[in-house]
Amino acid sequence: MSAPRLIAVTGVLLLAFSGLVYAAPADSLSGIARAAQNSCLDCHRRSDQARVSAPTAHWLEDIHAVRGLGCVGCHGGDATDSDLSAMDPDKGFRGKPGRDEIAELCAKCHADAAYMKRFNPRPYVFSMAEFRTSVHCKKIAEGDKKVATCTNCHGVHGILTPKDPSSPVFHRNVPLTCSKCHNSEYMKGRTVPTNQFALYRNSVHGKALLERDDASAPACNDCHGNHGAVPPNTRDISIVCANCHGREGELFLASKVRLAFDRMGKRGCVTCHGNHDVQKPTDAMLSTGPGGTCVGCHEPGSAGERGAHAIVTGFAGLKASIGVADSLLKLAEFRGMETTQARTALRESQDRLVAVRAAIHSFDEHTVAAVVAEGNEFATQARTAGISALRDWRNRRIGMGLSLLVILATIGLLIARIRGIAPR
Amino acid sequence: MIARVQEWLRDRLGLDELQQLAEHKQIPLHRHTFWYYWGGMTLFLFGIQVCTGILLLLYYRASADEAYESVRFIMTQVSFGWLIRSIHSWSANLMIGAAMVHMFSAFMMKAYRRPREATWLSGMLLFGLSMAFGFSGYLLPWNQLAFFATKVGTDITGAVPVVGPFMLRFLRGGDHITGATLTRFFGFHVAILPAIATMILGVHLYLVQRHGMSVPPQVEDQGTPVPQMKFVPHFLLRDMVGWLAALGGLALLAALLPWELGLKADPYVPAPAGIKPEWYFGWMFQTLRMLPSHIAGLEGELIGIIGIGLAGMVWLLAPFLDDPTGRGPRARFWSGLGVAAIVYITVFTLLVYRGGKP
Repeated sequence: MSAPRLIAVTGVLLLAFSGLVYAAPADSLSGIARAAQNSCLDCHRRSDQARVSAPTAHWLEDIHAVRGLGCVGCHGGDATDSDLSAMDPDKGFRGKPGRDEIAELCAKCHADAAYMKRFNPRPYVFSMAEFRTSVHCKKIAEGDKKVATCTNCHGVHGILTPKDPSSPVFHRNVPLTCSKCHNSEYMKGRTVPTNQFALYRNSVHGKALLERDDASAPACNDCHGNHGAVPPNTRDISIVCANCHGREGELFLASKVRLAFDRMGKRGCVTCHGNHDVQKPTDAMLSTGPGGTCVGCHEPGSAGERGAHAIVTGFAGLKASIGVADSLLKLAEFRGMETTQARTALRESQDRLVAVRAAIHSFDEHTVAAVVAEGNEFATQARTAGISALRDWRNRRIGMGLSLLVILATIGLLIARIRGIAPR
Repeated sequence: MIARVQEWLRDRLGLDELQQLAEHKQIPLHRHTFWYYWGGMTLFLFGIQVCTGILLLLYYRASADEAYESVRFIMTQVSFGWLIRSIHSWSANLMIGAAMVHMFSAFMMKAYRRPREATWLSGMLLFGLSMAFGFSGYLLPWNQLAFFATKVGTDITGAVPVVGPFMLRFLRGGDHITGATLTRFFGFHVAILPAIATMILGVHLYLVQRHGMSVPPQVEDQGTPVPQMKFVPHFLLRDMVGWLAALGGLALLAALLPWELGLKADPYVPAPAGIKPEWYFGWMFQTLRMLPSHIAGLEGELIGIIGIGLAGMVWLLAPFLDDPTGRGPRARFWSGLGVAAIVYITVFTLLVYRGGKP
């Protein structure tokens, strides 16, 4: 073989080999690549009709696209066909699903734990059964077209994960998302209340979540559920509140007041605290006088009123003891006295005051009295230490005065001595 | 009986020689005599430090887990513990203040002239030791302010060229301020520094005794013999008036402004706002703070440290660089330098307490 021929053959072989190497990854193209190359996207993106091109606007940010899923998963058809025949019903094309079909369609993947584990080893598995318990699903089944389904909350063709702060179902965004439907204009003609968002926004929960970005504050779904959203129809609303307010809920559920509420048809926690507009509880609520919550149920002079009065008096007494001890310690600190240990006792006492605020939900005089007694013991320790510190402060001043007198007298004697001896 | 004991002691301790020495010691009497009292005042406050320090040692525990609690115990449970601790802290500051007055008065009166160069050097060494006492003692209560002030102080030490990183690790006993730093500082404060200080103090007092009190050149130039005052009893009695006044001042400060303990040191919380070192390090801290981050391509802090180091060296070598007669243009230049140093240190110390703003 001549040299030029050898070079030519070698060149051809090298080209062929490089082609093989280059072609190899094509067999293992990721879903993302496939999605990017799908004909649905290519045609819809180029369309002059906004209605047709709109689904492509945010598609590449959609979690489904990010995870390599394409259009055919939901809409059927053949994404490899670059002609209109891609949307041939014979190729499984089903177009835009009806509102009543959407949840079932999403559930095909999202309710399949084995399938979802391909994307996340600890996936959230959607429950169609739970969704069917929601008012939304029931209304859809009745043919109501103005009721939320998956896409109304999660969006469509630009769905973000709930952990994404831009997602409409990100914890902080949930109240606003719900309010898009739960408002007077959208709900016109229905009996559903529409002031929830306005009330919630000014509630202790709403202010914490929306103003302070406190992720531990509840949004709508924390009380109502999300996919199974309903007005809380638990046996007692306290069970809902107890999900977060554990100690208070536990005490209330075991209390005699809860049984009385049941008999009277009152709805647990909301009887005193309200629901959407729940405010930060104040100690003013603990009163048997005007403005207190106790008088809402207990008649003056009744056994219940006397029990409530004992509880309220114990609480107020502890609070006053803490106030007195705190004032004494502040004065001692202002005068430069060391009060660290007394402060520790006062903190213990203040912790008991918080515990009393929780224990009040037992509505049991003895339970509250036990915690009040503990608090009073610590408050007494702090008060005694404060009094002792102030007494020490006075003694120190007296001691200082006396020692200064001795020092000045000695200085006087020394000066007299200096003057009494020869000048040099 | 008493006479026999006195005789016994006189024979064995050589009290006659000491008595003669005291009787013959003279103090020059002139318009600057007032400044002679500051050495004795510093010594008296040092004595207070030793006495109160020993008492604090009875209860203090030098570990990160117990130091703060033990100081709190001293302040709240031990009889007069608050007084001892407060006097120890206040006296430390007054002692450094008195040492500064003593040093600057010696400088301005040119007391370092021949043959008192070694007296000046030993005095400067004692002044440096006093600052080291202050720096090491400040950390011992293991409170928040002390923790972060020590961090800032040792960070500055770490920026010293060549030996800085070693010094930083040596002082901290590792890369960070931990319990190891506390025990190390405790060792410096109660063993190493007192041992060195006692020796240098002995040398300093011997040299003062050996050469007597220096008379400023302008007093010498008056042409008339400088009148003298006997050390015992005239000067000593006046000294004692000053000491008693200082004791009264300490009682006032301890009772009216007891030294705070603050919060226990926690390395995991942010440094308190406006953290600053003790006042006697203030002028250096403020100098470093006001320097630009870079000067001629070098780090500003590095330039500052080198500058302060050089200034300290020049100050130390003043007896050898100033005119040995204490007269003439060179002597006037050095007097001007002393005034400039006093003004600079005063202004920059005050700036620290104005938040670093002029």
